[in-house]
Amino acid sequence: MQRAARRSDIWLMPFGAIILIAWLMLAFGGSAFSLPAFCSAETWSALPLSVSLDLARVSNTFVQLLLGWALMVMAMMLPRALLPLWHVRERSFARRRARSMLLFVAGFVAVWMTVGVILEMAAWLLRWAVPVAFAGFALAGAIALVWQVSPAKQWCLNRCHQRPPLAAFGMAADLDAFRFGLKNGAACAGGCWALMLPMLLIGQGQLVAMVVVTLFGFAESLENPARLAWRWRGGGKPLRILAARRHCVSPISSPLRAGFLSIPP
Amino acid sequence: MTFTRQNVWELGSDWADPILWYARGVKAMKARPLNDPTSWRFFGAMHGFDQNLWSQLGLLDEGDQPPSDGDMKTYWMQCQHGSWYFLPWHRGYLLALEAVVRDAIAQLSGPSATWALPYWNYFKPSQNQLPPAFASPDWPDGTGDNPLYVVQRYGPDNNGSIYIPTDQVDQNALGDSRFVGPGQGGSQGFGGVSTGFAHSGQRHGGVESQPHDAVHVLVGGGDDQNPGLMSFPDLAGLDPIFYLHHANIDRLWEVWNRGNPSHADPADAKWVQGPASIGERAFAMPMPGGRSWAYTPADTVSLSTLGYGYDDVSAPAQPQIASRFQRLGMAPPEPGRRPAMANVELLGASQGGLSLTGSGAKTSVQLDHAVRNKVSSSLQGMTGGAPAPDRIFLNLENVRGVNDATVFSVYINVPEADDPARHPELRAGSVGLFGVSKASAMDGPHAGDGLTFVVEITHVIDTLHLHGALNVNQLHVSLVPRREVPAASPVSIGHISIFRQSP
Repeated sequence: MQRAARRSDIWLMPFGAIILIAWLMLAFGGSAFSLPAFCSAETWSALPLSVSLDLARVSNTFVQLLLGWALMVMAMMLPRALLPLWHVRERSFARRRARSMLLFVAGFVAVWMTVGVILEMAAWLLRWAVPVAFAGFALAGAIALVWQVSPAKQWCLNRCHQRPPLAAFGMAADLDAFRFGLKNGAACAGGCWALMLPMLLIGQGQLVAMVVVTLFGFAESLENPARLAWRWRGGGKPLRILAARRHCVSPISSPLRAGFLSIPP
Repeated sequence: MTFTRQNVWELGSDWADPILWYARGVKAMKARPLNDPTSWRFFGAMHGFDQNLWSQLGLLDEGDQPPSDGDMKTYWMQCQHGSWYFLPWHRGYLLALEAVVRDAIAQLSGPSATWALPYWNYFKPSQNQLPPAFASPDWPDGTGDNPLYVVQRYGPDNNGSIYIPTDQVDQNALGDSRFVGPGQGGSQGFGGVSTGFAHSGQRHGGVESQPHDAVHVLVGGGDDQNPGLMSFPDLAGLDPIFYLHHANIDRLWEVWNRGNPSHADPADAKWVQGPASIGERAFAMPMPGGRSWAYTPADTVSLSTLGYGYDDVSAPAQPQIASRFQRLGMAPPEPGRRPAMANVELLGASQGGLSLTGSGAKTSVQLDHAVRNKVSSSLQGMTGGAPAPDRIFLNLENVRGVNDATVFSVYINVPEADDPARHPELRAGSVGLFGVSKASAMDGPHAGDGLTFVVEITHVIDTLHLHGALNVNQLHVSLVPRREVPAASPVSIGHISIFRQSP
């Protein structure tokens, strides 16, 4: 049974390799693979909006923008796509599994690339509108905090857990896989966009921030769906697992063994 | 000291002592306020709670004091469904209820040293009727206020006559050699697949689907406007018959464990140590005297260690899987050498969804030629090595609806003009939609995904194969509800797929 289980997990390896390579390129690839520089520029706020935009476009080509974001999506977001990918694989004919999974990833990444451009623009606008660098970061952090505790965030997180019916044959199967990628990517982006915004404005230490946001977001995706409510959420599951391991008591020590259930008398 | 749970129909009389004292214990629990952890409603809410539903049925009074936040977080809304924790959690629930009832019996100077909950084995001939003590509004002396009687118990025909139609339930799960199935469209196993804390999981395990789910909704009946208590997870724990039904499910767990030396509960630490070990909620029960019992599945696996037993743990005659090799003309593998059957592969799928209303619905499932040929080869023993014919499972995916009290039968390839009832050989099984309304709520934790039901159709595929009727491009699936499904509250099925499970 374990051998069979290992066999069914082997498809995860290419995705794991992509994630690892993306992180290595972000960490060691130099400026060519980093996020666009205008996020950390500090002088543009003094310029008129149109001039500032022109300068940003000069110092960051569109290709550079897309490349940086694509790497970031592969490194940070692809791990979150692995759980819905199980569903795509499970509901596809064996000979179509790779194709369907790639179509799902294409839809998922397409959403994140679009959201990435929007977030970059938002970060640039925020940087331009708020002259003090830290104030812009703090404002983005405050937005992230409000979003984090809002029912709307839970609405998005719950949709990350949706597993829709998927057609199995022909073009309908391709479209369903791609559409599921779009929907899951949209739900994922809805849950994470607010965490990404301060990360874009942090300036120094952005790589560390990316690691933190990735781990936090992944831990959040492990939580069960929940009712919509204003409350703090996310990130706690790994800590709870560690705490549970530390305090795990042997079942033998349970009061049950002392005839606890035979009361009364 | 061993407490023996006995067959409710074989106690000697309708109001034999175990039932009479159960009724007295339930009465004492019902007299306690909602915020008392040993009250009847508190126990009901531990299984499930929906404020709107409870208010709709008048189960909440204006004067009720809610329990403390801590008590609600610790105890309420705990029941495990669609999970490999289904059996151990419910065993703990029964043990706690018995402890509380026994405590009440002791306070009434009753036989607390020996009392144990009876079970209702609806499979035994002439025992499929609701035990009489639960059907009468009166105590045995003719006075009213029998606490075992429930008005909101409507039965399979929705007319208050409570019985289990024996053609709607089965014990086929006992033939599954694994507690945990591979899932992924294949077997869910006898006890369910690996999950975390799952108050409302999406895919039910073998014994949970049948007979558990079906019995719940057949007894409860009703609809979304007049819900039967047993039909809805958020109400079920309020019906005293619930605990006799679950005692029988618990008994079947013991039957399965004793039925074959290869049958074993999961050894995975995540199951043994329970969901608290993975950072999720612990299982916790209130006990008499203000105490609390936090338990793990490991605490529940040995009935004898717990000091419990059943008066009958004999296995029913030849479960389906075991008789299969004989049907296909193959030599069965030696005991203990059955292949794991852990590979699951999609065999066919419907083109779209299906709406179940009125007296039934039909659709076709298109088969993939290459995979179908693999199935045919395996059924002919041509797969090489030890014969291991594929098992075949039909999945009803993303089933949504507002009325849990819906039961329907699944038939395969019934000829167009024929009445499905005339073709028992083509009947795959029955599905009860216990939990479907909760899983369909758009603002609920499932975000409207619904439930997915897995029905083994191996025996029907074998029949088609043996009649040379399996070499086809598609299979026709008929869903036949036991009673008409109103157009105003249809059941929608997102997709139907068929999987093969092989070594």
